[in-house]
Amino acid sequence: MKREVSDKTILDEFVEDFVKVVERHCNYIVVSGFVAIAHGRSRGTEDIDMILEKLSLKDFDKLHVDLLKNGFECMQSGDSKVIYDYLINVTSVRYVREGEFLPEMEIKFAKDEIDYYQLATKVKLPLSGLDIWFSSIEMNIAFKEEYLKSDKDLEDARHLRIIYKDKFSEEEVNKIKKDIRRVRMNGKR
Amino acid sequence: MVRDKSHMEQVERWANFIRENPDKWKKQHKKFIDAQIIMSRRFYDKLSKTKKGRKKIILLRDK
Repeated sequence: MKREVSDKTILDEFVEDFVKVVERHCNYIVVSGFVAIAHGRSRGTEDIDMILEKLSLKDFDKLHVDLLKNGFECMQSGDSKVIYDYLINVTSVRYVREGEFLPEMEIKFAKDEIDYYQLATKVKLPLSGLDIWFSSIEMNIAFKEEYLKSDKDLEDARHLRIIYKDKFSEEEVNKIKKDIRRVRMNGKR
Repeated sequence: MVRDKSHMEQVERWANFIRENPDKWKKQHKKFIDAQIIMSRRFYDKLSKTKKGRKKIILLRDK
């Protein structure tokens, strides 16, 4: 179900343009709130979360230069070495279209086995009408219900559960929740 | 403010509408999502033209 041009939101167009550049350089996934919003969830967001496989400084510099060439800029710095320092220190950085303040793409490097599992199980989600890689529906539900847990996140998870009713694996959700507790929460609930 | 259960009920109502009306929801959704971006942009544009406005915007984003 591809979206007609007129159906595309400002967020959709921003994400697609950003992804066109990123996919020339590395594996990526779009995660969290935008996954729900791309499936119709009616709430606001200023940032879209993206996880990239970890890159060397040299490869990240190529990606950064390509983003600049395509009309994006980084809010933290124009210097790829400075931006890279943020990323390898597990801090996210934000890119916007040059001269605009939003929307913004919040990117970070994959940091642990959960993130690499998300990248390995990435999916295209035709219901969204967007030709981009997302983390799986099971991953998004598990993260929102087990780890993030704010009202907004629990509502996102409920929304995805209804949209994908009978189309996702509860067993996989539970497996991911168990992994999240082990890797990110020291085994606690 | 703690959200009451009517909030989740509305989330469920809208998600079911999307499932049942695959050709109708997008137009409504686009208006809603775009309006928020347009309003925020308008505000940030104004803020950026004030003294230390750009710095404040970066602080807001790093919250």
